[in-house]
Amino acid sequence: MQFHVPPFLKHLTNGVTEVEVTGATLGECLDAFVKRFPLAETLLFDERGRLHGYIEISVNGISAFPEELTRPVREGDTISMMYLMAGG
Amino acid sequence: MAAIERKGLRVNLSTGEIRGEAVEEQVATDFIGGSGFGIYYLYTHLAPNTDPLSEQNKMLFVTGPLAGTNAQAVSRWLVCTRSPLTGAFARSSCGADFGAWLRFSGYDFIMVEGRAEKPVYIHLSENSCQIKDAAELWGKDTLTTQQWLTERHGKDTRAACIGPAGERLVKYASIASARRTASRCGTGTVMGSKQLKAIAITSRKHMQLHDPEAFKTLVREQVRLMKASKGFHHHTDVGTTTTHDITNPLGMYPVRNFRYGQQDEFERLSGEEYRKLRTGDFGCYSCSSRCGKVHHVPGGPYAGAHSEGPEYESIWAFSGPMDNRCIEATVAADQLCDDFGMDTITTGNAIGFAYELYEKGILTRQETDGLELTYGNHAAMIDLIKKIGRREGIGDVLAEGVMRAARTIGKGAESYAIHVKGMEPPAYEPRGAKCLGFNYATSNIGASHGYGYAPQEVFGSPIPRQVDRFAEEENADIVIFNQNTRAMRELGICCSFASLWGWIPTLLDKLLLAATGIDRCAEPGYLQLVGERIVNMERAFNVRNGFRRADDTLPRRILEEPLHTKGAPGEGQMIRHLDAFLDRYYALRGWTPDGVPSSQKLEQLGLGFVARDMP
Repeated sequence: MQFHVPPFLKHLTNGVTEVEVTGATLGECLDAFVKRFPLAETLLFDERGRLHGYIEISVNGISAFPEELTRPVREGDTISMMYLMAGG
Repeated sequence: MAAIERKGLRVNLSTGEIRGEAVEEQVATDFIGGSGFGIYYLYTHLAPNTDPLSEQNKMLFVTGPLAGTNAQAVSRWLVCTRSPLTGAFARSSCGADFGAWLRFSGYDFIMVEGRAEKPVYIHLSENSCQIKDAAELWGKDTLTTQQWLTERHGKDTRAACIGPAGERLVKYASIASARRTASRCGTGTVMGSKQLKAIAITSRKHMQLHDPEAFKTLVREQVRLMKASKGFHHHTDVGTTTTHDITNPLGMYPVRNFRYGQQDEFERLSGEEYRKLRTGDFGCYSCSSRCGKVHHVPGGPYAGAHSEGPEYESIWAFSGPMDNRCIEATVAADQLCDDFGMDTITTGNAIGFAYELYEKGILTRQETDGLELTYGNHAAMIDLIKKIGRREGIGDVLAEGVMRAARTIGKGAESYAIHVKGMEPPAYEPRGAKCLGFNYATSNIGASHGYGYAPQEVFGSPIPRQVDRFAEEENADIVIFNQNTRAMRELGICCSFASLWGWIPTLLDKLLLAATGIDRCAEPGYLQLVGERIVNMERAFNVRNGFRRADDTLPRRILEEPLHTKGAPGEGQMIRHLDAFLDRYYALRGWTPDGVPSSQKLEQLGLGFVARDMP
């Protein structure tokens, strides 16, 4: 699976914007991503290991909410993320 | 089936004349409502170069065609006038329930003209509209004023009112509905100059919709889409009280008068810390999100402070500029501003500006009435808010906004005045979020996040495309997209948060069609065209009042000093290519190199009558 890193977070991945990850579920893919880029861990997960409420994960452009971490993924899927709009 | 009738109410406080006025069918089609009616009626009724605080200035209180219905998060309202802070077009946006009540009254807008000889309020009920004596209300805070009006006119009454700051002509006075405020641009100041304390509307819910059955079906779909969105659930849980948890690590949280992009120990101000003070929540009319979070301070020096808020902007306004890390003081500051009726964003900026002048020795302790304006001193911040609201001592100087205050103070103070066109920026560092920075520069109301918010660079939104937040002229198209989208969204008038919960792309046009019967709403791309039309007309309003390219600029600090982010990304960033950006932005907009909408563009947008006014 391809994990697409949005431009505003590429400082956490040394400028890399496309990362190949493996896993049967979205949670496993995110774990693989964090293993490679440990700085991203606190960005994605809280201290109890839960996905932050303000992170939106999409698979092939469609929101994975709810129960994102247990969602099955397949070879060829594209995973992307963004913050949920809350400013202003 | 014909489109529904739309109408406005004109109230002249000088002559006492009150009359209803039908909206011409062509105007309704071309401008739809909300932001469209706001600029159309202001442009066509206000003479160029009118003194904003004169009897001749006019104010539009505008609601949208979806307000008051059971559609979600579409009952916002706007105030449009000429700003006393900037001299440019003013548009303040507000939630709560005044917008719904205005729609219940049967009017799309109220145009207030003239100036009363003594304090008054306007009372609009189902059978009458009267200008009433407000002597008893003058001097009262915004909450007490609204309570008084409800007691006087009954529980079906809602009001928009000013507080003591508006009465004293603080240049950035706000207008309140419940505890929400139309804050920016000094619209409350214009209301105060007219000696208009409030507009109260007594009405029961009744709405005329073009196609009620279709509307009902569309609302069901809207609710389904919203509730399937994670954004809805997150926003319902925390509102915007966690946004600084995101913007600080990204280096875009302005600190110490826009010197730094990250606040030390920002974890002390986190959303979780605010959650500990939370006692309830508050929602706007017909919005199940209830994103307003109520905070109460149980003990310590600010015991008893209680506010529906602060939300992100006010959290920043009373932490970043003066580097305050006491959230209880921030809650107290927010409450004070709401009571006085003052824009928290400009108030916070004015205080941060004073702190920097004190640090640099430009302001002395004698000139601050004995206040020690050292960073982190939250007690002095609270004292300054009171002084501004009462126009006492140094507060009287700061009540003019940083641009005018700097001129009064002199001694190089202008070098530290952070504003665009006279209005102070919100909680996003323009060097760390450059689409927002360029939006500040080109916005027709001055530095505002609400005019063309950039979710692409703050949250990573891929619509219409992802951006590099440090790129400059390459993102001119994004700034235009965001500004036009804002105007389109405010046709509704839709909440900017709720508009990202998955329903706008497929439902806004259908809802507007079902509500109004304006067939063109259903044409692909028509609402975007109206959004562009609105931005162009707002620009033409400013051009007619003397604004040009030279006004589309940013504060000296942003153009000349590198940003310091304390380890976050963006260290050393500056805005380096403002001219190149403006060249590209104007070209894409179809404007002249001096920032004036071209005749060709205006004709293309159906604004030939505006083209004749351009130089």
